[in-house]
Amino acid sequence: MTQPYPELSWLWAALIAYVAAGSLAIIAVVMNKRPERTLLVLMLAGLALHTVSIALRWTRLGHGPFITLFEILSSNIWSLMLIFSIAYWRVRTLRPAASVVMPILFIMMGWLLVSSPGEGHLPPTYHTVWLYIHIGLGKVFLGSVLVAVGIAGLILLRTAGLARNRLGALPADERLEDLAFRFMILGFVFESLMLVAGAIWAQDAWGRYWAWDPLETWAFLTWLVLAFFLHLRVTMKLPPRAASWSILVVFVLAFLTFFGVPFISTAAHKGAV
Amino acid sequence: MQQSAVIAWGLRLASLRLTLAALTLLAVDVLLTYRAEVRASWPLALPLALLSVNLIAAVLTNPTFRRQGALLAFHLALIAIVLLIAIGQLTYLRGHVELSRGETFGGELTQSERGPWHFGSLAQVSFANEGFTIDYSPGMQRNDTRNIVSWNEAGTRRSAVIGDQEPLVLHGYRFYTSFNKGFAPLFIWRPSNGRAVRGTVHLPSYPINEFRQAQEWTPPGTALKLWVMLDLDKRPFDKTKPWRFRAPEQHSLVVREGERRWTLKPGAELALSQGVLFYEGLTTWMGYKVFYDWTLPWLLAACVVAIGSMAWHFWRKYAAGPWDP
Repeated sequence: MTQPYPELSWLWAALIAYVAAGSLAIIAVVMNKRPERTLLVLMLAGLALHTVSIALRWTRLGHGPFITLFEILSSNIWSLMLIFSIAYWRVRTLRPAASVVMPILFIMMGWLLVSSPGEGHLPPTYHTVWLYIHIGLGKVFLGSVLVAVGIAGLILLRTAGLARNRLGALPADERLEDLAFRFMILGFVFESLMLVAGAIWAQDAWGRYWAWDPLETWAFLTWLVLAFFLHLRVTMKLPPRAASWSILVVFVLAFLTFFGVPFISTAAHKGAV
Repeated sequence: MQQSAVIAWGLRLASLRLTLAALTLLAVDVLLTYRAEVRASWPLALPLALLSVNLIAAVLTNPTFRRQGALLAFHLALIAIVLLIAIGQLTYLRGHVELSRGETFGGELTQSERGPWHFGSLAQVSFANEGFTIDYSPGMQRNDTRNIVSWNEAGTRRSAVIGDQEPLVLHGYRFYTSFNKGFAPLFIWRPSNGRAVRGTVHLPSYPINEFRQAQEWTPPGTALKLWVMLDLDKRPFDKTKPWRFRAPEQHSLVVREGERRWTLKPGAELALSQGVLFYEGLTTWMGYKVFYDWTLPWLLAACVVAIGSMAWHFWRKYAAGPWDP
């Protein structure tokens, strides 16, 4: 008897590796340990298994993970893990941020576990290279903001007096906040590119580059809020704690735009519905 | 004295606090527009105008912009984007037209909306719908639309296949195929006095209106009120199998005038009080979305300059210092 979804066993294995990495990251921060190499290996192992899972499904269905809630969650967990792993590998200072980022990904993984792995139909408007460009840019945007959230989380945890030994060894809040805003600016550039690529795609697919559909509106609002906080930081010289909260606000808005709006809207730009 | 007052006003208008206020106002207006029953772009004009004034004042008074060329280019490109969108709103055209297979577009739209300064050359645009195919997957899932269109260009007849991602662009007007398409009975109307006219009656969009394939119609030059309905011997598709959109061969057409009712097969004639109606057969029609906005390539160029210069500005700023503090 053949398994209807052969890619699932690879996905479950990947999730186990991610959960192990996340749990280890939390324990390490609490216990003031630094199993950084083990953690990186676990994240990369999870990513490798996850890549096989996505590739198997892509080959089986003949299209990428763009249609159903299951596919969108799976591909975003993969891209967020990939971007965070690169940041984790390249910027040592933010490594304790894994203890903040991984629990956020756990929520998405839990959501993925209760989603149906059933198949969806790839609409004809998705047969374009702009699909890959638009979605790819969006994934880099969300990944950059997630890294910034991880750093902002460290500032807020330290302010709350948690895990003092490990977090106390980190650079001053001002330095961390500057690092977090570098990732926010990276996110701002990629969100701008995502909006432009989406407008080009919309012009070809639906004969208009902008129509204020729910996803367009909320993506633009996220861009505006991000622009607002970037200006606020310059104007008001925000203290690190307030700046950290502003990063969380942008992330929540972006998260709801990515994973909330497409599943409650029935408009033309409806994502997975 | 006057000069210092102008400078003081310029500095006030260039304030970053004003930027924050205008961004907030724009966000609120976007939300209100999104929630409104009737979408209008004018509520966004005020915050966008305020942001533009704020940006122009900042560019003129803030020495940072003179020191940092990329930052200046980014903000100038933002002003250009706002201006181009405003010009686009004044000169755009959006519309809809339905063409039967073999019919030529002659510049008339079924419905349209246009900016007050739209002086385009739609009347010069001409092309013919040469027919289309749409394949459906099991479950009536629509796949690619392939519509052959032809037009004259410098004395040569040209043709192309347009579809979901490929509009036909003529004189700046973009014609997009749409999901709105259906069947059309093809008639020749021979009035008692006058010349015969050949034309189609577009039935409601198919298959979305599968069970409402009827239309009221008045033959040209008469006061007759006819009602025509497509009567299919059997459903042309099986939902569980792949299907290609095409006019069904086995069908008849019900024609009603008041209490009188006839059933016509292709090739049949019907004598009415003011002429003879000849039913040639069933063909298809395609609904085209029409879009005109000459600012599109300039908008794209302004966006590329804006994002490129912003990325360059931050790259230079952050590449200078370490990322690992």
